[in-house]
Formats: sequence, structure tokens, C-alpha cells
Amino acid sequence: MKNRIPVKSALLILLILLSVFAIAVVAVIDQRVTSKLDGVLWTVPAKIYSRSLEIAEGGKINVSNLLKELKLLSYEENDSPINPGQFYYKKDNIKIFLRGYKKQNSGLYEINFEGNKVESLRRQDGIRIDLITLEPMAIGGMYPSHMEDRLLLDWPQVPESLVKILLAVEDQGFFDHYGISLKSISRAFYKNVQAANIEQGGSTITQQLAKNLFFTSEQTIKRKLVEAVAALLIEFHYSKQEILLAYINDVYLAQSGTRSIHGFGLGAQHFFGSSLNNLDTHQLSLLVGMLKGPSVYNPRRNPKNALNRRNTVLGVLRRDGLINEQNYLDFKARPIKIIKPSYRSETKYPAFHDLVRIELRNNFEEDKLRSEGLSVYTNIDPIFQESLENNIVATKKKLVKKYGKRLDDLEGAAIVVDIQNGEIKAVVGSTNPYQFGFNRSLNAIRPIGSLVKPFVYLSALEKYQQYNLTTILDDSLLSVPVTNNSFWEPNNFDKKYHGNVPLHKALWQSYNIASARLGIELGFDSINKTFQSLGIEKEVPRYPSLYVGSFEMSPLDVIQAYQTIASDGFYSPLRSIREITDLDGESALSYPYRIEQRFRPEPIHLIKFAMQQTFTKGTARGYKQKTIDKWNVGGKTGTSDDQRDSWFVGYAGDYLVLTWLGFDDNRSTPLTGRTGALELWKSFIEDVDPNSSTKPVLPRIKYVWTDINDGNLSGPRCKNSIYTPFIIGTEPKNIPDVRRKCGSASEEEASSVVKKLKQVFEKIKE
Amino acid sequence: MKKIKLISLILTIIIVSSCTTTSKQVKTSNSKIELDLFSSSVDQLLTNENFLKSEILKINASKPSIQRILNESDSHWLKGNLKKANSELERALRISKNESSVFLRLAHIRLEQGLNLESGSFAARGLLISDVSSWERLLLNVYAKD
Repeated sequence: MKNRIPVKSALLILLILLSVFAIAVVAVIDQRVTSKLDGVLWTVPAKIYSRSLEIAEGGKINVSNLLKELKLLSYEENDSPINPGQFYYKKDNIKIFLRGYKKQNSGLYEINFEGNKVESLRRQDGIRIDLITLEPMAIGGMYPSHMEDRLLLDWPQVPESLVKILLAVEDQGFFDHYGISLKSISRAFYKNVQAANIEQGGSTITQQLAKNLFFTSEQTIKRKLVEAVAALLIEFHYSKQEILLAYINDVYLAQSGTRSIHGFGLGAQHFFGSSLNNLDTHQLSLLVGMLKGPSVYNPRRNPKNALNRRNTVLGVLRRDGLINEQNYLDFKARPIKIIKPSYRSETKYPAFHDLVRIELRNNFEEDKLRSEGLSVYTNIDPIFQESLENNIVATKKKLVKKYGKRLDDLEGAAIVVDIQNGEIKAVVGSTNPYQFGFNRSLNAIRPIGSLVKPFVYLSALEKYQQYNLTTILDDSLLSVPVTNNSFWEPNNFDKKYHGNVPLHKALWQSYNIASARLGIELGFDSINKTFQSLGIEKEVPRYPSLYVGSFEMSPLDVIQAYQTIASDGFYSPLRSIREITDLDGESALSYPYRIEQRFRPEPIHLIKFAMQQTFTKGTARGYKQKTIDKWNVGGKTGTSDDQRDSWFVGYAGDYLVLTWLGFDDNRSTPLTGRTGALELWKSFIEDVDPNSSTKPVLPRIKYVWTDINDGNLSGPRCKNSIYTPFIIGTEPKNIPDVRRKCGSASEEEASSVVKKLKQVFEKIKE
Repeated sequence: MKKIKLISLILTIIIVSSCTTTSKQVKTSNSKIELDLFSSSVDQLLTNENFLKSEILKINASKPSIQRILNESDSHWLKGNLKKANSELERALRISKNESSVFLRLAHIRLEQGLNLESGSFAARGLLISDVSSWERLLLNVYAKD
């Protein structure tokens, strides 16, 4: 006889095994509940923002750019702005209902301006104020692999009306149940049996949270059971308020490209471009209504469905006495107004984003960037960025039209920098600037051609006892032995020799031979020192061809060197980021304005004078003197051997802009610096029309008239004369006989009378 | 005709210069005291960092909007929060690039941060601004020559 296990014992063992299994399952679910709710739910990707525009009384304003900015920020034009995000523009006056940002309150503000100056700023009550701040634009984020994006809200940031609407629509018994509602389940069960399918869920908000956290949207009995257990566990561990807050922050609302929009905070920004606090009941009703089916009721994709659903929600609010009949009718009559998807949506401005990412990775670990909710405030000016992107596309199109299909693969790069503080305002790294890809602004290393010349000439002008702007340079055949039997013989672009030319003319005419001879005369060490002072960290090769630009650099490195020149000798490291703050708004890292005086302002003034002549007489000529003065513009064209690279770098107003065009495979283009890169530069500058900048005061500089060809003293009435700056004491003293009549003889006479009078005066004093 | 003009000009200069000489003689004792006071102030600027800071804090901006930002910056500065003070000053410079009051503050804050070279550079940058009063110029020179 075999020993048989009694049925009772077997059942007991089975029960114990089942209990152990159930406990194990519950323990596993419990562990997941707590770890998810304490961890993953609170991971917030770093957000990247543009600079915020500040408008000050008495300050400069570019009205057309301001209107573009309002459009980018999804402000809506309205005859009588009464809600955040609306504005009204008429001649010399703009009324803006600001959404509010940091210390700037939301409200209606009026700007009166005259020309490009802000005359007055007023609040709605008529009181004059001195400053208003527009909110910055979100230009992207550092999203985790699951691409979930959210804005975390604290309880005080959650409007009471949202809670009321949410509970009325989704879970009326929220404060009474323990995670599951038997009443709701039995109602759903009855309907599902009737339909012989699972059609209705009886999920409480806690169950929905459990579902959002762990499970797919698949509707099975097993999943429902696990969800119910998880809901009970959530209720066991967390308070009602914590659960509600977690739900509000986590619930899935929409998809924007590859990024999924979670939580009401981000939902409000995504659809209304506003913070949750600014939303009215009908707008909150729209968001709550979407929970039933984020895709079906998406107001962008299915506006009719969304409108019907919103009105259903409004009906529930009326039924429950949360709004009265009049409010219901009023809200129901409102159309659905959502912002365009471009604003606060996918990562914009790929080339700038690249730059920010590089700077961020130098200071933060990847995980931290994707989870700790950092806010990255950058220097990007969205108006400049948009203009640069559009203009590189338009310029290429124009050039293809002019030179034919051989320019189909033409690539390009461009960077805009604030001269004074080194803030990077815009970057493009391709002629297709709207997509991520090889970023030529940062990574293309190309021969810089004549862009090297101002560096060589600056080295000379630093030695002001030996060189000034009218020092004569020799632009005749130059033959430099390279090896035993070979010589290096630079050519000018026009294949001509120009003999003796004043230093400034050699620069703005971009004569290669004169420049090479000057570089050789100055010596490698002297020029290398200038390179380093300008901020070029790369090792420079010791070839004579260096002096005509065989040296290779990236656009970003070139513009750094030119920033030092444009800012009168003050080097400031270029920066794309201003500050990074943590979730609490506290500064986590800042990138302060650094400055180092690398050159005396006087030699820089002289080189900038020559660079301005590029526009008046040289390779960038074409603008009227009025425009040249207004922008206080200066620049330099660059073309590398066989026209492989077309460069232009120039400053106008407060900004320095570098442009480059060429092929990735290094083949020749039909473009010079003037016919290619300059075209892009001009189209951008004309588009943004920068405000004029003030000139520095330099008491050690004196202007005298000189001859443009021989560099000797001349006069305002003489032909070919140019009013030229000199460091006092270095100016030419004698006027050639041929120019005695038209020249500065009368001025000389006048100054000698003053001299004599001074002597008399001194004698009298004695 | 030219000679007559020249003679009359010389005579005018003689008269004017004799008048200024007389008034200078009368004022000698007072101006000596003022000069002494001025010299001791300059000495203090060069030797007493707190005195220098108190003088910098008295320099106002040329525009009300910038002054408002300066007030915020100064309040952070006085609480020892140099980072926030600096960030406000940068904000001011973005609105108006040529404010000597801002460059003076930046120069002093950098000094407090131990960045002497940068302090001098900010001052040198401020000295390039056109409408700087002689007192501000003197203060800027204290840092520029550091």
C-alpha cells in the first residue's frame, strides 16, 4: 500500500504554495510601485531655452524683429488683447498681454516707440515702468531613450479648478475608495457583459496611474487584476494628494514627433503655450477631455472630436454644479484656440543644439541631463537663428540659379556672435539647416584664405614705431626658396603685381604678395604671438604660405579670433549657454562673461579702419556710406586656393558674423569670398538690420588726410585722399609738393598760428 | 588785416589770463585743502578696498531701467552672492552696452573673486566709453592699473 496524502493536506499545501506565490507576486508589484513612483516618474529631461528678450525704456528696439519674436512665441494678434499670449500693433505702439516669466508678471503692457527707440513702457493701469521681459522660447531638450517629456508641478502650482474637473470626469469617488472602486467595476462589468466584450473600464485615478506606470493599454482580465493590486499598494504607500499629483504629472496627453507629452504642466505649454495657472475652465476641460483618448481627441489632429469632447466635459461640470448655466453656455461658445506646433515642440535649431550639447557634456553626465529636470538658458536669439537658417537656404538657391547645378552639393556654415561679451546668438552648420547632421561650423576644418591677413597686419601695427597704416609694402614678385630647387611664389587673385602700396590698401584689396612679404618680414614668432593673443589655440605651421591663409581652422575658431578684434582687443571666450538651473530654479552652473585685454585698443582701431575700407573701397564694396556709418561695419573676404572655400567675416552694429561656403569633398567652386559667403552675410545683416554701436573713445588716435596710393600726407580737397587714423606721433608730417595746393597746407598754416599763440601765452604767464 | 586780428586776440588773451591768475591767488588756501582731501581720498581708493567698494556703489546708471537692475545686483552683492550680482550686471550690459557704472561693479566683483587680470580688463573696457565722468574715469583707473 502506498502512502496517500490526505486530500485535506494536499489542499493545505496547495493553499500555502498559492499564498507564497501570491505574496511573491504582490512583493514584486510592490517593489515596482515604490521604485517607479519614487524614481522614474520624477525623471525630467533637461530643457533648453533661448535668451529672453528684455525691452527697456530709452533702449533700442527693432520693431520688425519684436513682431517676429511675438509670432515665434505664438502670441496672437488681437484688437483688444485681454488674455495672456495676445498683442495688438499699430504705428509706434504695441500692446502685449505678457504670459509672465520669473519676476515678470503676466498682464497687459504698452510699448510706445519712436524710430528704433523705446519712448515709454506702461502697465495696464497707465503707470510708467522701465523694463519688461518676454518669456524665453523652449528650443528643445535632452530627452531619455523613452522620449518621455514632462514639466513637474508641485501641489501649489496645480489649479484647484483642474482638480475639480479631473475628479468630476475621471473619478468622483477618489477620496472615498482605496484604489479600486467596486461600484465603478460592477457598472463596467455589467456594460461589458451586455456587450460581450471589454468596452468600458471601471478604473479609478489610482488604477490609471498604476496602468500608466507599468502596463500597456492592452485590456485583459489578468492585467486588470495586477493593476488592481498595484492600485491598492499605491494607496497603501502614498497619500491621496501625492497620488493625484503623480497622476497630474505623469498622465500621457499627446505625441509630438518622437517625443511624448506627459502631464498637465507640459500639456498646457504644448497646446496653449502657457503655464497651467493661466488656463481658463474651457481650456482645462479640453485637456481633461483628452484623457479618454489622447489621439482621438487631439485638438490638432481631430479638432471636431476635441470640441465635442470638451463640451461633454463642460456638461459634466454643469451637471455637478461646478459651473452655472451661463458659464456653461459661455465656455461652450468658445472656439478651441491652440498654438502652432512649432512653438515649444521638437528640438529646434539643430546646429545650435549641437553646440549646447557639447558644452553641457563637458560639465554634466548624460544621465543627469536626461533625468534631473535642469533648465538650460542659452544665448540663442531665435530671430537671428531663424534668419540665418532661412538665408543660408535662400543664398544657396540664388547661387545655384546663377552658377547652375554644379552647386547642388554646396555646403555652408555661419555663426553670429555678440561682439562685446562673446555670446553666440545663432549657428548653422549646413545648407540644410533644419536637420541634424555634420555641423560644419564646429567640425569643418578648412584653409582660411585671406581671413588670415588682418592677423598678420595687426602684428605689424602692434609695432607702431615701425608700421602704420601708410607704411609702404612691396607687392612685386616674391620668390621664397622652400627646398633646394623649389621656390614658393605667391600670386595675387588678379594675377598682377601692384608695386608699392600703403599697408591699409594692401589689406582691403587683399594683395597676397604684399601680405606674404610683410609676414616674412615680421617673422613667424611675432605672428604666432598674435595668433595666440587672438585666441587661436591650435598649433600654427611654420610655412610662408601661412601668411596668405593656407592655415586650416574651423569657422568657430576663426570667429573667436575675430571677436577679439571686433571688441577692440578684448578677448572673451565664446559661449552658447548663460546659466543652468535645477528643478528648484537654483543656479546649478553659470557661464559668466569673461574678458581679457589682449591688445591695446589703438592698433585694433587701425586694423578696424582698414577692415571698414573693405566695405567702402575694397572687396565688400557696394553699401552706401550712410549704411556703413550706421552699422559701423567692417570685414574681410577670404578665398582659398582654387576657390575651394568662400569666406566672409564682418561686424555690423553689436554683432560679428562669419559665413563659409564650399564643398565637403574640397573641390573647386566658382565662388570667391565676395561672390559667395559675402552674399550670405549681406542677406542676414540686411534682414536683422542691427542697431548701430557706439565707437570707443581713443584720445591717442589722430586722423589726417593721406593719399590712397602713395600713403603720403594729402588733404580733403585732393584727389584719392583718405582720412586715415594714426597713433599720435606716428602720422606722416610732410606734404609732397604736388599736393601743396589741394592738401593740408591751409590746415598746417592754421596749426602753426595756434602754436605761435600758445608760445606767446606761455611767455605772458611766465 | 590779419595782423590787427592777431594783435586783438593776443590782447584778449592777456586780459583773460590776468583775471584767472588773480582769482587763482585768492582761492589758494581753499583749493589746497580741497586738493589735500582729494589726495587722501585717492590714497584711500588705492589702499582701502571697502572704501573703494562704497564709492563704486554710489555710482548710478544713466538709465532708470539699468539702475533698477543695478539695485538688484547691489543687493545680491552686499549679501555676498557674487554669482547672482554678476548675472544681473550681465543682464544690464545686454540692454545697454556702454554703462561705466556696470563695468566698475564688474571690475570690483572680479577683484573680490581674486580675478585681478579680469578686473583690470573690465576697467580698461569701461575706459573706452565716451561719456564717462572724470571721477568714474579715476575709479576705473584704480582697477585698470592694478
